[in-house]
Amino acid sequence: MLYLIRKMRSQFNSWALLSFIFSILIILPALLIMVQLFAESNENWEHIKEFMLKNYIINSVTLVIFTGLFTVIIGVCAAWLVTAYTFPLQRFFKWGMILPLAIPPYIGAYTYHGILNYTGVIQTNLRNHFDIKVDQKFFDIMNIPGAIFIFTLFLYPYVFIITRSFLENQSSSLIENARILGKSSFQTFIQVVLPISRTAIVGGVSLVILEVFNDYGVVKYFGIQTFSTAIFQAWFGMGDIQSAIKLAGTLMVIVVFILIAEKLIRGRKRYSYSTSKVRPLQPKELKGWKKYSVLSLFLTWFAFAFLIPSIQLLQWVYMTYDVILNEVFLDLIWNSVFVASIGSALIVITALIIANFSRLSKGWFSQFFSKITVLGYSLPGAVIAIGVLTLFLALDQKVIVLYEWIGLEPTLVLSLSISMLIFAYVVRFLAVGYNSIESGFEKVGTAFTDASRTLGMSVTKTFFKVDIKMIKGAVAGGFILVFVDILKELPLTLILQPFNFYTLATKTFQYASDERIHEASVSSIVIIFISALSIFFLHKVLEKEPK
Amino acid sequence: MFVQIKDLTFNYKNSRKPLFENLSLGFKQGEVTVILGQSGSGKSTLLRLIAGLEIPARGSISIDRAVMNDSLRFVQPEKRGVGLVFQDYALFPHMTVEKNIKFGLHKMSRKQKQNRMEELLTLVGMEEFASRYPYELSGGQQQRVALARALAPNPSLIMFDEPFSNLDSKLQEQIRDDLKDIIKLTGITSIFVTHDEEDARAIGDRIVLMHDGKIQEAGRPEAVFKKNREKLSLAYV
Amino acid sequence: MHKKNLFTTIIMVLIVAVIMAGCGKSNDGASSGNDKAASKEEKNSGEVNLYTSRHYDVDDQIFADFTKETGIKVNVIKGKEDELIERLSREGKATKGDLFFTSDAGRLHWAKEKDLLQSVESETLNKNIPENLADKDKQWYGLTKRARVIVYSKDKVDPSELSTYEALTEDKWKGKVLIRSSENIYNQSLVSSFISLNGKEEAKNWAEGIVKNMARDPQGGDRDQAKGIVAGEGDVAIMNSYYFGQMLNSEDPEEVKVAKQLSVFFPNQETTGTHINISGIGVTKYAKNKENAIKLMEYLSSADVQKVFAEANYEYPVNKEVEPSELLKSWGEFKEQDLNLSELGENNADAVKILNEVSWK
Ligand SMILES: Nc1ncnc2c1ncn2[C@@H]1O[C@H](COP(=O)(O)OP(=O)(O)OP(=O)(O)O)[C@@H](O)[C@H]1O
Ligand SMILES: [Fe+2]
Ligand SMILES: [Mg+2]
Repeated sequence: MLYLIRKMRSQFNSWALLSFIFSILIILPALLIMVQLFAESNENWEHIKEFMLKNYIINSVTLVIFTGLFTVIIGVCAAWLVTAYTFPLQRFFKWGMILPLAIPPYIGAYTYHGILNYTGVIQTNLRNHFDIKVDQKFFDIMNIPGAIFIFTLFLYPYVFIITRSFLENQSSSLIENARILGKSSFQTFIQVVLPISRTAIVGGVSLVILEVFNDYGVVKYFGIQTFSTAIFQAWFGMGDIQSAIKLAGTLMVIVVFILIAEKLIRGRKRYSYSTSKVRPLQPKELKGWKKYSVLSLFLTWFAFAFLIPSIQLLQWVYMTYDVILNEVFLDLIWNSVFVASIGSALIVITALIIANFSRLSKGWFSQFFSKITVLGYSLPGAVIAIGVLTLFLALDQKVIVLYEWIGLEPTLVLSLSISMLIFAYVVRFLAVGYNSIESGFEKVGTAFTDASRTLGMSVTKTFFKVDIKMIKGAVAGGFILVFVDILKELPLTLILQPFNFYTLATKTFQYASDERIHEASVSSIVIIFISALSIFFLHKVLEKEPK
Repeated sequence: MFVQIKDLTFNYKNSRKPLFENLSLGFKQGEVTVILGQSGSGKSTLLRLIAGLEIPARGSISIDRAVMNDSLRFVQPEKRGVGLVFQDYALFPHMTVEKNIKFGLHKMSRKQKQNRMEELLTLVGMEEFASRYPYELSGGQQQRVALARALAPNPSLIMFDEPFSNLDSKLQEQIRDDLKDIIKLTGITSIFVTHDEEDARAIGDRIVLMHDGKIQEAGRPEAVFKKNREKLSLAYV
Repeated sequence: MHKKNLFTTIIMVLIVAVIMAGCGKSNDGASSGNDKAASKEEKNSGEVNLYTSRHYDVDDQIFADFTKETGIKVNVIKGKEDELIERLSREGKATKGDLFFTSDAGRLHWAKEKDLLQSVESETLNKNIPENLADKDKQWYGLTKRARVIVYSKDKVDPSELSTYEALTEDKWKGKVLIRSSENIYNQSLVSSFISLNGKEEAKNWAEGIVKNMARDPQGGDRDQAKGIVAGEGDVAIMNSYYFGQMLNSEDPEEVKVAKQLSVFFPNQETTGTHINISGIGVTKYAKNKENAIKLMEYLSSADVQKVFAEANYEYPVNKEVEPSELLKSWGEFKEQDLNLSELGENNADAVKILNEVSWK
């Protein structure tokens, strides 16, 4: 018993305290919603079960499986090709292949539908210049295969980024050994690269899966009924919160299950070496037809995932900018960048604190914190938004007593402040920042921290002088991924926005929801431009980092 | 006894059987103790426990009569004033050799830090490498920097985890002898972990033989070696 | 040492900024006190806070004009109707929203059901807005009107073949009807109106018949249905009138071309009338600026404003003194469903269930 107390004392410091506070704050909004999970089911639930659930689950699972499969194939192959070989533009594609992440899938969906539909550029040209009328079946993208296409195009970068950085840093000796042992490139890829990068791949694809599960924009636009549509229909359509929560809870269980499975697969394996002995992999030069076929593959993919949608959007911008662009537009940009920066900064700080605490103290207690971070990512944005709203209102209730006592009317100070919105972002996207930072910590191990502490530095000083400097890349990576995510975020922002506060994403929604896709292009393109810029910036930071 | 370990019990979180059970061991002030043992016998872990990098389940450790940990207390590693040279060096990759060595120097003027750093670089024969980064050094050079870094803050107890394993034999002898001189001069209590009998003989005032988490034998080198000749030659073919 | 300060500072900022915004009560309290003082000073002008799910640029323009005229500032949150209702209901007494503005009578009714609105007596409103376009208890008022019409291909369909919504379920139209997904509120309200007029049974039969005759699985928005006709996927589409107006006036010449090949038909003229819906507005139950809110409603219903307001979005004005735009007049006058629009909301839940039961995607 005494030892237990001592153990708690030896681990209980400001890190533990802060981690504890943050975790509680993250958990609260979800809990406030989830308590309703145990409420009795009503007749709506029966209706949902009978008429909706089966189909919706089948659709969701189909989307998840195929998107997962395709993003893995494309993400991993691309990552392997850009790390193991040199070919024209290879240095560009190393980061260029991340650019599609800048395009939110819902904008991608609007754009591709805009290109392909009857009045889209392709059919119009065929009609007007060649007098060809095509069967709509071949141009129909608003179905499940179309959604898989869209998701794959704009989500594969998650797999690509993680796998590429893993291959770059970790695998040289294994891969070179395989080559020395006489394996062909293809054999090396199948027998060595795939197995050793399994963790990285699973990490990337689980982000993809979560995005697909929680997507609302694409499926709604395409008229595909999925799990998240069911949540919205039950909640907002039937006004039946219980059933909606039941669905969200089910979704969360599935997601948590996937994440636990991922951790189990990974087990205690750490495919990483912690010392300076790691060398980057020496790429091989591609020659002849191989060179050109790889190059054209990359060019084609890049065109579909980035160039074509961007160019189409630009053409629409050209059609509408005079109506849309005005001084108010600058405010939109400022608002978006402002909330995204603050949100990302808070997420990075929170993630650093929890990750550092949970890696240094080995008990279940700290491991528990690290699992909590993912909670927000496993729930649809709208559910979190309502949870956060409820939490702030509850806080407000406490404050109201005080107001009345002072003699003021009850006001909604907390709920209207922008801090509510930013807090919700933190809950929602903490997992994204946390993943990146955790993997950074995992890569460097604890040897350096130990060394620093025997040299007389406390945990906190070590953190600033050693740890954080060694995972700079991971911190920057986490920041930018979150930044881009917040910039694109929609459902949560729509519910929690303060008065007269518009962002690029909500502006895009305003037009798009009214089927005015052309007008939506201006704010879309700005989102894409800022995101692309941040991705480029990230690339520059990482490139400079000594390996 | 300068370092006193009493009834120490410890196990790693994910292993079922404790690595140490009721282990007791003492180290005298100014003495150089060499711990010899098979790979996996727990040598590195023992050093980590003394340094405070692992938390024991039971038992106590005291250094210089101050209790480092027992049932009530646990002194954090940075407060223990113990130097440790790591088996895999753990040089900070984002700092130059100079910065690495100065890292552990607190409460000193800039000038003093500079002097101390240069003194140690001379000691390990690395004067020209002050501005290099660790990844620009060979394995042996890295090891020497790690040595210098641990010695720099003048710890009252210094521990080496196989400090010479990467050096060629000539350099090994030279550094070993230098090290012995410094240790004798400062009277610093030291613990060496090694595989090398030659090291043990040359530097150790006392030898501790370790096997599977247990102390098999402790005493003067000649006596220990004589008694365990057969076992040792079996262990290190 | 100063690193430690930095660290502490970051943590402090963090704590103050996000988490315990409640800890900064005293600060917030003070500032809201200031707000109060400020709003008392300019009591005559002041402000009004609006939750809206309408996304038209013309709205912003009209609000700006209102501010210019009255000095009352209009603060806006634009969101989705259902989420805004949820937000209002969660905020309860504490809400800052004074007005709720959305483009479906069903949703307005629902807000009323949830006890989020309050009755408003105003002679101006009574005079400007016909009775059937407002709530029975005056909790909300319609401001613009749209019809859910049949649009048909001029080439392939003779208008004489068209008659009612119900007729579209006949075998004749098998594989020819285009309509969007059941998730959409316009379709839900359409079915709601049938429940009111013809009963649940008939409404379900209708939905079943439409599903049977669909040219393709529902997809896209109302405009996509119109394009579907020209692309040869179907012959008739059910869509809101203003989308057709927008297409005729699109910046995209291709859309204009599409619209020119189509024509509008108002169904059920001989029987129950064409389904109409409204954009409407109501004062929230806990409105803090009720007077200003009513001023804004009256302003929006006034003849001058109605003209701009409706025309900009190709909708019909509710104010009888105001004529619809030339374009809408060219489509002719039509008989509307004789229905108090509150009923659209009352039947919504049943409508959703029917749509699910007949597997309308
Ligand atoms: N982090 C860890 N988690 C679990 N078990 C560990 C861990 N580190 C070491 N061990 C186990 O503890 C035992 C002692 O390890 P230790 O590193 O102390 O051995 P050693 O005597 O230093 O070996 P070597 O001479 O190879 O360095 C080994 O069986 C090892 O597998
Ligand atoms: Fe609409
Ligand atoms: Mg060891």
